[in-house]
Order: sequence, then structure tokens, then C-alpha cells
Amino acid sequence: MTNDELLNYFDELLFLPDLKAQTKDELFEEIVDQFVNVKYLRNKDIVLEMLNQRERLGSTGIGKKIAIPHGRTTSASDVMIAFGRSEQGINYEAIDKKPVHLIFMIIAPPQDENNMYLPILGKMVEILSKSKNRNKLMSAETYSDFVEIISKG
Amino acid sequence: MEKKQLDMLVALQDLDMMIEEISEVKRLGFSAEREEEIMKAREELALKIKKPLLYSYEKLKKRYKRAIVPVKEDNTCLGCFIRLPTSLSSIGRTDTSVIYCEGCGRILYWLT
Repeated sequence: MTNDELLNYFDELLFLPDLKAQTKDELFEEIVDQFVNVKYLRNKDIVLEMLNQRERLGSTGIGKKIAIPHGRTTSASDVMIAFGRSEQGINYEAIDKKPVHLIFMIIAPPQDENNMYLPILGKMVEILSKSKNRNKLMSAETYSDFVEIISKG
Repeated sequence: MEKKQLDMLVALQDLDMMIEEISEVKRLGFSAEREEEIMKAREELALKIKKPLLYSYEKLKKRYKRAIVPVKEDNTCLGCFIRLPTSLSSIGRTDTSVIYCEGCGRILYWLT
């Protein structure tokens, strides 16, 4: 998967550079609310349940300020990724125990065309493993800035 | 009553999909070590679902892998891609009863 192909799964309506949430629960609510507001999802509770169960399996806070909450849900029809950023950081119980600032929430349907969900997860990990990308994402001001970072990442 | 049953069935399928992909997700470097907790959550949830409904879910899962399929706003079953009658969608959208696709027999879940 190329970086430009990955960009097809983002949407400006799911670009949330100033998250208000202070806890993990509030964070999930805030981002899932946006999915519902823009009509990508109908049933908020089902998606929150899935995300919380995923955290029971193991934290999706992968360290270095990053969290990638993810999962398949019957209540989605397409793969969608929301980007959120918290300036103050959120206690996420990440693997390095440090607060999380950059959040990529990936929601996938039961079956997706060409089964892209796992390659998308892998590509996100690859891009975010580079410190220059993480630093740039911390200061991206607009969605265009964000697109450029991912595209060149 | 049925609404809760359908929601629980959807949550069960979401858990099943998670369990299926644990090894792939681990391979990508994610933490997913508490598999037994998820298996326990699945067991507990399954106990709350009425037996005939659970039986029907398991049977469809065996046949199709995904027992419950989303329905898009144009009333298309995303399992077999037939257009469903509009009369079904008005009932389906309320989540008050469990509706099976007339084409493939899967359980339908309206997305909008």
C-alpha cells in the first residue's frame, strides 16, 4: 500500500486537531461522536463497546505518544480513519506508560473491499515509527498540512 | 427486548472478528496478549442471547463466516447485494426485530 492510497481512508471531517478529551473514555466518545455527526456511523454504543473490548485485549497505545484504537464492527460499511490530536496528552495506559498525543482511530466493516484493513494498520505503524513524521504531525495546522505529511511519510 | 438482543448479537460478531484477527494484529506489533479475557467476555455475552437466536447466528457464521451483514442506505444487503424491499427497511432501522435477508438468509443490520 502506498501513502497516497492510505490517504483515501482519511477525511477532513474526521480531522480533529484540538481534542478536548482528558481521559481515554472521553477520547473514544469524542472521536466516535464525530463519526456519528458526519453520518459515517449510526450506533455509537456498539462502536464504543468494540473499542473498549479491544483495549481489554491489550492497549492500542503503542508508545511514543501514539495510539491507534482499531477494530472491525458490523455497524460500519467502509474503512475509515479519524485523526485526533491532544496538546495536553491523555492517560491511555500506553505500553510505555506515557501520555498519548496523536490518535488514529481506524474503524473497519466486517468485510472490506480487497481486505485492506490489516494493510492499513501496518502502513500506519510504519509511518508513525518515524520520529520526523510524529514531530510534524504534532504541529500540523490544517488538513492540507496533514495530507502532505502522510503523503511524504 | 429484541433491540437489545440484536445489539448483543452485533457485539458478539464484533468480538468474533476481533478474536479471528488476533495473530495478524500481534504480527503488526500491537499488544493483544489478554486473549483469555476476550474469550471470557464472548462467553458471558453469548449466555445473554436467547438460545434460538444464538443457534441461528452460529449456524450462519459457519456457513458464511459473517452471520450479520450491514445494509447500506440504498437498502442493499452487503452480504449478497440484493436490494431489499423498502417495507423491510422501515422496520429494520428501528432495530426492534431481527430480520433475515430474503436473498442469503443472513441477519441484517441497518447502517443508517
